[in-house]
Amino acid sequence: MKITRDEARRIAALARIEMDEPALDRMAAEMTTILTYIDQLSEVDVEGFAERAAGEATPMRDDTPHAPLDRDLVERNAPAWQDGFFVVPKVIGGE
Amino acid sequence: MSDVLDLPFTDAREQVSDYVDASLRAIEQLNPSLNAFLHVSDGASLAGVPVAIKDNITTTDMPTTCGSRILKGFRSPYDATAVERLRSWGASIVGKTNLDEFAMGSSTEHSAFGAAKNPWDVKRVPGGSSGGSAAAVAARMVPVALGSETGGSVRQPAALCGVVGMKPTYGRVSRWGLVAFASSLDQIGIVTKTVREAAEVLGVIAGHDPHDSTSSTHRVDDYMRNLEGGVRGMRFGVVIEGVEKLEGEVRANFDHALAVLRDLGASIEDVSIPTLPYAIAVYYIVANAEASANLSRFDGVRYGVRSERAKTLEDVYVDSRGEGFGDEVKRRIMLGTFALSSGYYDAYYARAQRVRAKMRHDFSQAFAKFDFLVTPTTPESAFEIGAKTNDPLSMYLNDIFTAPANLVGCPAIAVPSGFDAAGLPLSLQIMAADFAEGPMLRAAFAFERETNYWRRRPPL
Repeated sequence: MKITRDEARRIAALARIEMDEPALDRMAAEMTTILTYIDQLSEVDVEGFAERAAGEATPMRDDTPHAPLDRDLVERNAPAWQDGFFVVPKVIGGE
Repeated sequence: MSDVLDLPFTDAREQVSDYVDASLRAIEQLNPSLNAFLHVSDGASLAGVPVAIKDNITTTDMPTTCGSRILKGFRSPYDATAVERLRSWGASIVGKTNLDEFAMGSSTEHSAFGAAKNPWDVKRVPGGSSGGSAAAVAARMVPVALGSETGGSVRQPAALCGVVGMKPTYGRVSRWGLVAFASSLDQIGIVTKTVREAAEVLGVIAGHDPHDSTSSTHRVDDYMRNLEGGVRGMRFGVVIEGVEKLEGEVRANFDHALAVLRDLGASIEDVSIPTLPYAIAVYYIVANAEASANLSRFDGVRYGVRSERAKTLEDVYVDSRGEGFGDEVKRRIMLGTFALSSGYYDAYYARAQRVRAKMRHDFSQAFAKFDFLVTPTTPESAFEIGAKTNDPLSMYLNDIFTAPANLVGCPAIAVPSGFDAAGLPLSLQIMAADFAEGPMLRAAFAFERETNYWRRRPPL
């Protein structure tokens, strides 16, 4: 599978990762090498094998309330914090 | 260095009162040359068994960085369940060990805080991603370290550093507090010098945890009982796809290991796992697809480092991730995002999952006939620092024998099997059926008791 620079740019945008043009070129080349190796999976006969195995049910539990994390400990790690909230740049009605 | 650190903790803890002190002194002396630890405790309780924790497993009293710039300085509000259980058992957490960023790598060279070094030859890698944990145990800085496994990240570095590395069955140990990489593969693992130590520690950390709904309710066995039962009459399957292309010293060493098992009364026969050669291809789709989702939480909003040049909310995400993640993490997120993206999902992710289902079928057929499956743990001994950093694919192929156990979920253990001509450790891998850690440890113990390679220490 060949990955072009444009394809790499599209994927980087989906993944929300900033990448300059040289980085996109390098990434496209490396992804091409790795995906070409991975393409050997097309030779395996997977007839009768499902993407998700039967019986792999998601375990359920009762929806009971638990004590939340200590706010001070959460604040300690926050890049920006004010009055008990995480702060991010204005989203609505910006400049 | 102090003799007490040459002993298994099962002996040492009976004999000394300054065990933790001895460990902290060894770390202080050796860490400048090995870079195995990212953080060392200044307030460790001075009682108990000194234990190191991989820095992607949370601890409240030290940072948890995952070897990444994006989590520099992060301090978890809670202890991982495995850490909590170790503390109640009497462990003293002396430090956090170096790793490939977010556990993505096989050499610990992808750490944002510099590569860890192999104690047997500091020009070589200790393996990865739990390279710091393996180096710390091999260098006798601590008797026990926790690591984490997604495709062999405990067993491969254990092999390259000449120590015991165990991956329990998927779900055997709670993942609560293990920073998620690939949730259907991740499992906390154990690094020790000897099998007996691994058995005791597994008994401590195994078991269901309400915080992790994928942790198993399967009964926790007494792993110490019958450890010395031997392997007479037990059936070992040699995975032919794993060994047919092996050459030279790794081949000779593996053949010798089989001869040891045979002399102990085990039966040894070939077995075919036709899907084994596809393990790396499957792994790099499944693991990276899950990683691309799991690592979306690192966005510069709630924790970690936010880019200083970000002006809009979108910038906060894109710039923080661009600046905070290293090249290997970006490569994996990109591959995973691609495999899940519209138009490629069926050809990549869905197909990889179907090959994985077939591999699970191959393994369950093999375990119907055999108690254990064996391969070398790695296709080669420790390679030089820098040898594979420009060739991601060749780095990935180092995990060809270890990744299958993660893909199918079964337990596996790496046990030292000798040394090559350069004096570098080699390792035997023993895999067992789900939740058969007890018999697996017993087999590994029998091999270790006969060979005793763990007694040789690195020339530091």
